[in-house]
Amino acid sequence: MKMARIAEKNLAQEEVVSLCSLHSGNRLFGVDTREIREVLGAAVPQPVPLAPAYIAGVISYRGNVLTTVSLRALLGMERQSGASCVLVLEDEEPGRQFGLMADGVGSLVTTTASELEANPSTLEARSAAIFDGVYKMQAGLMVRLDPRRLRPLQLARSGLFGNAKQQRGWER
Amino acid sequence: MEDLTQEFLAESREGLERMELCLTELEKRPGDGELVAEIFRAVHTIKGTTGFLGFGRLQTLAHAGETLLAAVRDGKVSVTGELISGLLELRDGLQAILQIIETRGNEGERHTDDDGELIAQLQTLQAGGLPQAAQRDAGRPTDAPPISLRVVENPTARDQSSSTEPQPMAGQAQAGTERTLRIDVVVLNRMMDLVGELVLTRNQILQSRPDAESFPELARRLNGVTTELRDSVMEARMQPVGNLFSKFPRMVRDLALTCGRRVRIEFEGQETGLDKSLLEAVRDPLAHAVRNAVDHGIEPPEERVRAGKPAEGVVRLRAFQQGGSVVIEVIDDGAGILTERVLAKAMERGLVTAEQAAAMTERDALQLLFLPGFSTAKEVTSVSGRGVGMDVVRTNVEHAGGRVELESRAGIGTTVRLRVPLTLAIVPALVVESGGQSFALPQSALTELVRVPHADAGVSVEQIGSSELYRLREGVLPLVRLDRLLGIEPDAGAEPRGFYIAVLELERRRFGLVVDALRPPEEIVVKPLSASLRELGVYSGATVLGNGTLAMILDVAAIAARAGVRPSEETRLAAGEAAQAQSPFAMQAEIVMENSMVLYETAARSEDGVMRSTRMAMPMSAVERIATVPVGEIEYVDGRAVVQYDTELLSLEDDGGVLAEMSPRKGATVTVLICLQPTERGVRKMGVVVRRVLDVCAGTVLAEDAAHGGSALAMIQDRVTALHPGFGGFARFAGFAGFDAHAAGTPTGALQGAA
Repeated sequence: MKMARIAEKNLAQEEVVSLCSLHSGNRLFGVDTREIREVLGAAVPQPVPLAPAYIAGVISYRGNVLTTVSLRALLGMERQSGASCVLVLEDEEPGRQFGLMADGVGSLVTTTASELEANPSTLEARSAAIFDGVYKMQAGLMVRLDPRRLRPLQLARSGLFGNAKQQRGWER
Repeated sequence: MEDLTQEFLAESREGLERMELCLTELEKRPGDGELVAEIFRAVHTIKGTTGFLGFGRLQTLAHAGETLLAAVRDGKVSVTGELISGLLELRDGLQAILQIIETRGNEGERHTDDDGELIAQLQTLQAGGLPQAAQRDAGRPTDAPPISLRVVENPTARDQSSSTEPQPMAGQAQAGTERTLRIDVVVLNRMMDLVGELVLTRNQILQSRPDAESFPELARRLNGVTTELRDSVMEARMQPVGNLFSKFPRMVRDLALTCGRRVRIEFEGQETGLDKSLLEAVRDPLAHAVRNAVDHGIEPPEERVRAGKPAEGVVRLRAFQQGGSVVIEVIDDGAGILTERVLAKAMERGLVTAEQAAAMTERDALQLLFLPGFSTAKEVTSVSGRGVGMDVVRTNVEHAGGRVELESRAGIGTTVRLRVPLTLAIVPALVVESGGQSFALPQSALTELVRVPHADAGVSVEQIGSSELYRLREGVLPLVRLDRLLGIEPDAGAEPRGFYIAVLELERRRFGLVVDALRPPEEIVVKPLSASLRELGVYSGATVLGNGTLAMILDVAAIAARAGVRPSEETRLAAGEAAQAQSPFAMQAEIVMENSMVLYETAARSEDGVMRSTRMAMPMSAVERIATVPVGEIEYVDGRAVVQYDTELLSLEDDGGVLAEMSPRKGATVTVLICLQPTERGVRKMGVVVRRVLDVCAGTVLAEDAAHGGSALAMIQDRVTALHPGFGGFARFAGFAGFDAHAAGTPTGALQGAA
């Protein structure tokens, strides 16, 4: 293995990283398996009216209500009907989780931190807010996602994905 | 903090609470040696344990107190008002040090004279040297802090009680009692047994298959165990209301001294249980109501004597359980509220016009006291006698899902009634549908349900500007369309039908929420939402419905605010305008609640002896619940069908032979109207098996029809329909005549039936 050129934050050099691959549309993504609590096979989120577009809805997870973020909506793709895969990830509030909905979950990919390439500088703001870098895979590029930046509150704070509080004209 | 210290703090606090109660009691019965012994024990325990834990300052103060108490016990010092005051100050002093220990983990900085003054005072009392104490009392008002320590740290209960301003209780002061809970070992054992039972049932279910013979039996057992477990956990969370009452004797005593009143406090129903979190929620409102009763309700002694009342006023705290809620009443025998003065003040403050005031009933006038404008003005309260922060009381109680009622009779007294639900974690809710989605609507704010048939939707809903109004009885109701509010696209493919209006009332706002359909009420378990969804401010939580889907729980107050619903006093003005703008021809608004009927299909034997399918109706007020019962759960005793409903055995009436049609099929269910049937000996609960429920709608009861064996007929949806024979009388007796009072207070039995 070649020597690390870029020192990644929090990641020791030459550390082996295992990523869970997932796809939305024809795009491939990866999330560090250590960040994933559970992968739910087929989940149908219950839509939440008035919630921002990137919130696919809520699903019931171990007696709790899981707010689920739609990767498709974040990427500006069409909503897909029917069941999707949901990754259960840790939320900001301790002991609480949120869900990340993707079209499907693929195999585990093992790589090293040093192989991560930084986001291209020309990447548009929305994608830059959630993409963590790119791995060159044999099949193509795999975008690494940082679950911390996908947390619903974080997305709301970024202000890039539409405001949660929509005012409606008919109100007096 | 060390466990030992924690335990010591909790125990000492309990001891001090007891001490306070005993002291106020001792003032009434100065000769009671038992009480002195009890107080002595409390102080002695603290002294003993502090020495062991090394809290020297606490020990010194407790020791001084103990010495004085020993003298009292031995009869060397007699019980006087000064002594009681001194000992109460000792209690406060000890409490304040405990508070410091809890927050800092040690006794804090030791200033030279921190406890010195108090100890000196105790010594003076012991020496029988009243002059100094009396002089001190005369020198400053009784509510002035007698020791510096109290000012430095959090205000103690005493300081707060003597203030008439609404103040939140010092959260820290209660912190120690909130974190821990004492549970009867018997209850805990019972819970463990039930959990064991639950595990066994789960094991059996895991080994069984849904089509197994024993499956319905297992499901029933699971149901039973769950219900019992829920009840016992709720029981464990229950705390006697008496815990809340215990601080009032002291508060009333101090307050009466400050205001120059003579007041006795009485309790009733202290053992009534209330969920711990709710107990905390009503703590402040209740204290406020008691404060008001002493401060403004009870007259000065001379005035009372002149009015022919005993010089000593009585404030009575009464708690009892009523249905799914606990009622706590604060009753005083004071001057009552003079409605003329309330109205005069309201007009002066521009809250109502002279015409409105003239038209107001006494009840309406009392409601004005809940207006925020009324509470802040000092001079109003000194004249009208009441109203300090009643809006705060109401807001706090409604936050906890409860209600506040106010009753007053001039010269006789005032009653403030707080009505709170038994628990918050599991609440009865109505499930409504809008735009194809289900939402849960807590029943605490629901007053009634109205169905508007499609044919009437055009005429009964009036437009004023951009807002819609519905004519409900003599008033008008602003409508809020849930789908529009939430931005849900209405089902495009759905054929136009009628809709339902859920009439909601909260914080003086009254409005109708328009929904597409109603589903049976459920007892829902409230699940918290993530911060990002809480931020939306429309939902108070989410829940899993009986069919396994998630539903958002609507926050009624937030919806009212979002839709711009104004408090009812203002709406009444709008109502006047609406009445003037009304079209000349009268509208036929169908009002479900007044003559609401459950319309169902069953079979009846016609004259030629053949069973024919027929429509029948039952008054909604008689129906507690519409249940779906698996046929397998129905058992037969002497040929009579019975079913277990909650914990009781319910006998089923099946005149239409529905069960006979169904029974061969496995897994089949029947619809049962669970209703209360009037009999000679009162009311009995029974189930009526029906083919299906067609509708819940308005109907007019017609005269009894002799040809139909005396059963009553009703006009429903323009068709003559027979009422269920057992309920013809009920319709007239309970259903309609007495309905106004019923509708004003609670939703109908059918909607409450979820419990």
